[in-house]
Amino acid sequence: MIIRKKYLFYALAFASSIIAASVSAIDATISQIYIPNPWAFSFSCFIVGIIISLLIVLVFSIPVKGRSLGSRVIDPSFKRLRLVRKEELKYHIPAAVGNAILTIGYLSLLSILGDPSTVLPFSQIVILYLILIESITEKNMPTLSEIQSSIIVTFGAILGSISLTGTINLASLAIVFLVVNPAWVLFSINQRKLKILKVDNRPNDALNIRFWNVVFACLFTAILAIIYDFIVGGNNFIEGIAASINHFSWVALTMGVTFFSYVFYIRALGIGKASVTQAVRASTVLFAIPFSILISYFNVIPPFTTDPVMILIKIIGTILVILGIVSFALALVKAYVFINIKPGYSIEETMDKLWTIWGVTRVTAIAGKYDFIVKIRTRTLVKGYEQIIQKLEEIDAIKDYKWQSVLKEWEKI
Amino acid sequence: MINAYILLTMRTGDSGKAILEMRKIENVEKISVVAGEYDIVVRVQVKTLESLLKVTNKIQMIDGVKKTTTSVIEKEIAL
Repeated sequence: MIIRKKYLFYALAFASSIIAASVSAIDATISQIYIPNPWAFSFSCFIVGIIISLLIVLVFSIPVKGRSLGSRVIDPSFKRLRLVRKEELKYHIPAAVGNAILTIGYLSLLSILGDPSTVLPFSQIVILYLILIESITEKNMPTLSEIQSSIIVTFGAILGSISLTGTINLASLAIVFLVVNPAWVLFSINQRKLKILKVDNRPNDALNIRFWNVVFACLFTAILAIIYDFIVGGNNFIEGIAASINHFSWVALTMGVTFFSYVFYIRALGIGKASVTQAVRASTVLFAIPFSILISYFNVIPPFTTDPVMILIKIIGTILVILGIVSFALALVKAYVFINIKPGYSIEETMDKLWTIWGVTRVTAIAGKYDFIVKIRTRTLVKGYEQIIQKLEEIDAIKDYKWQSVLKEWEKI
Repeated sequence: MINAYILLTMRTGDSGKAILEMRKIENVEKISVVAGEYDIVVRVQVKTLESLLKVTNKIQMIDGVKKTTTSVIEKEIAL
């Protein structure tokens, strides 16, 4: 089946964000009632997470009519649970460090603020960090529209993060900017690299990536907890183990649901740019509101104010986040450039020169009428001319080229 | 695995129907409708050159396809 790639991308990213919003309500309940210590809660999440993720991956490894259940239901690239490969380690380790720090930071925020609809908007500011990283790693400079969209999302997130109980906490802002968002960038970028990595000549699968991420993150959380205990003289490591035994069912619930949220997120990351995936996932802010109202109704968090000004601010913030998402998603130009080179020039050297041009996502040497087909991804046609055509013309080997703008595209997922 | 681009020139008419037919072909990885010298760029992945011939044949049989130009990929760098 071949479908328009963007439909699957948005379905995965939105499913991931709805599930993430429900997880935040479960986390808030556990944090407020059962495990108030964020270090113990984080460590218990990963201990229980290994067991739950292992069970889920084993179930999805069951073969059904020649293919695994996971490949039919979740990710077509999945075959079965496998050991982590050597080439994956360089991405798994930073992703796990990111996830360990992110979880501790996020649960600390939740224990300070309580209300998930307040905590989640804060984490959307990560989009600024992602744009910066993409401009370095993916050879793609941010355009004015990208900057505008990320500013809209950021301001929307700040307004949306004002609690409906009317409070804003400065300590939480420091955790957001210095701990949660940098850790999320580390986690997100490396998960994307893992997803686009080929293992045994097949695309890597989201289920194995998630399972091994939880295993490594557990190890790093244990190390961080031991170091923290050693410095401040606490007992978080032991409390984490105790919490995972005493509140196993609650932690298992949150980790089971989180598993699916991440699997969908990793698959979306493998399809779209990290910043666009993050932009769509920002809709968690909107989906978190009904969950917050629900747990407030059950007195898990303090009741919401009925002050119309506070409600208005929250609504404006949510609308801004969604506006930012839409403007992000709509601005993208793709093109093929067919190139012929002059006799006497090396194909491989020309290929390397083409690859250094910003916005070039694929360079293909072909046999036939043309020597190269180059795939371009850019935010605007103006940028396409300034950054790509002008650079192409500087390469001596190029005899002529033809630009073919992509109007619509379908891809096998 | 052999990867190839098939560049298509279409007759004026119902290209939507032709694309729908192409989407059903098993080895087709990507279909891009483009503006320029060609009308559609199709990327295919096959195991043998014989399979490539079969895919090209299937595409040529689709109503609306005027001309196909197949280019086998020799080397590739991608993100």
